[in-house]
Amino acid sequence: MNHLDEKDIRKLTEETVKQLGSSATPELVENVVKEAIDRIQYKAGSHVIDTSPLKKAALQQSGNRIIVTAFGKNRVGILAGLTGILARHKCNILDLTQKLLQEFFTIMILVDINESPVDFDTIKTDVTRVGEELDLKVVIQHEEIFNAMHRV
Amino acid sequence: MPIAIEEILETIRMTEVEHFDIRTVTMGISLKDCCSDDLNKLKKNIYEKIMRVAAEHVMVAKKIESDYGISIANKRIAVTPISLIADAYHKEDFIEIAQTLDKAAHELGIDFLGGFSALVQKGATPGEQNMMHAVPDALASTQHICSSVNVATTKAGINMDAVKLMGEVIKQTAQLTGDKDAIGCAKLVVFANVPEDNPFIAGAFHGVSEPDVVINVGISGPGVILRTIREIPDTLDISTLSDHIRRMAFKITRAGEYLGKKVAEMQNVQFGIVDISLAPTPVPGDSVADILKAIGLEDVGAAGTTAALALLNDSVKRGGMMASSYVGGMSGAFIPVSEDEGMIRAAERGNISIEKLEAMTSVCSVGLDMIAIPGKTSAEIISGIIADECAIGISNNKTTAVRIIPVPGKDVGESVNYGGLLGMAPIMGCSQLSNNIFINRGGRFPAPVKGINN
Repeated sequence: MNHLDEKDIRKLTEETVKQLGSSATPELVENVVKEAIDRIQYKAGSHVIDTSPLKKAALQQSGNRIIVTAFGKNRVGILAGLTGILARHKCNILDLTQKLLQEFFTIMILVDINESPVDFDTIKTDVTRVGEELDLKVVIQHEEIFNAMHRV
Repeated sequence: MPIAIEEILETIRMTEVEHFDIRTVTMGISLKDCCSDDLNKLKKNIYEKIMRVAAEHVMVAKKIESDYGISIANKRIAVTPISLIADAYHKEDFIEIAQTLDKAAHELGIDFLGGFSALVQKGATPGEQNMMHAVPDALASTQHICSSVNVATTKAGINMDAVKLMGEVIKQTAQLTGDKDAIGCAKLVVFANVPEDNPFIAGAFHGVSEPDVVINVGISGPGVILRTIREIPDTLDISTLSDHIRRMAFKITRAGEYLGKKVAEMQNVQFGIVDISLAPTPVPGDSVADILKAIGLEDVGAAGTTAALALLNDSVKRGGMMASSYVGGMSGAFIPVSEDEGMIRAAERGNISIEKLEAMTSVCSVGLDMIAIPGKTSAEIISGIIADECAIGISNNKTTAVRIIPVPGKDVGESVNYGGLLGMAPIMGCSQLSNNIFINRGGRFPAPVKGINN
């Protein structure tokens, strides 16, 4: 096992929670899981011990990945609306980050659309429409363009 | 997130606010296999090859735009210089061939097709003479065709007969398209040291040593560089300023190369080069002149303008060459007048003159580009301007060009407006002193000593 994917990490986390039982706190679980992943990857002969396995796992997953970025005034239902339409199209959310600067809300979602029964254009149209209903400006791009521009 | 939030936001700001786009994705198509001794067969071969090879070019480029959220402003085609594949034909035949190319471009939804071209730096064949004579009628009777003629190289020197002829061709083109403010001249460019893989119109053509079909990309992005410079303090030294420009040039070149490769891959075609020229548009904020001002000049034309342009040009090249192994074409800052909002304003205020622009062409990528001059200017004077640019080109071993518009019936103080990417040009004054004896001498201007470098 050279690289852990998201499924492995989830399994590892569930096992950790089970073993820790009532003493499990979010911090403790995170630390234990991180250590476990380090051990596994080190054993597997990896030269680099990655302390953020999710990042690495996400990077190495091959497939069709897009980044959905939305901005607008903060209001109820932004996250629900965007993730709802993604879920309906069977798009898998790999990572998500959001920022609130005063009233201005920005959300970025890394999405795997490999398992989706619909194509990129349909997802783009539908997510943009949902965004517009929430008064958001939505930009959807394939992930590789960011790697090309921002990584040497 | 594998990509930092700041990087995503920067990319979106570049495309949404700062007009960063891919200026052109140009498909080069060889027409060498279309030759025929029957004009109708030749026209049929050309039409069928372009329609077959480029059938999906526009569609694919649009798909890539949508997938990556970066606009590709123009989808264009460049073909083998027509003089080479129709060397045995007459003037009228060349006009018909231009119309055939125009029909193909129109049906494919392409705005400009380049390659109504000839390479005559050392001398012209009868066919090439015929083609040059056909240029005014060809440009007047077509919508999408662009023409270029190379009249000088560092190795061959300057063909002064061709320089003289092209002065006349430009005048005739202006007269034939006089009802549209001589728009034909906006599609005609005279070169020294022309690159054979340039994706930018009007000088694009598919060089003789190129593969059958190739995708070349021209980036844009003055707005992005402008923001970078505006964000740093006025007291920052020149080397650090250059460093900031270099970093941004890296990013935009990477984006251009990546998208170009995708367009090529989807059409199963070889990827050629990325041209790292900064190409302005008439949109406010998308201006090379504004960059020069942001570097620290009151307006373009101020003392120091040429140095600032040289700094910008060099910094962009450093970043671009780090970003891509296949940098080609012109690759330098463009300084067209009508296509650059800052340049238009400087010309209107009288801050920039044709003489200063000429000096700037010794350090930038092209030359006197999209400059409107008084309609009364003679063919010999235009030839003299071409000769000056050629001398700068061959002496500095660089590309130079002249795309100049003598607008019939208009003079200094008036202006022409073409709209769209071609923009608006105030008529600029140029010396009306006679150079008749010099231009009418003709002959071959010897190659500079610099050209003998083996």
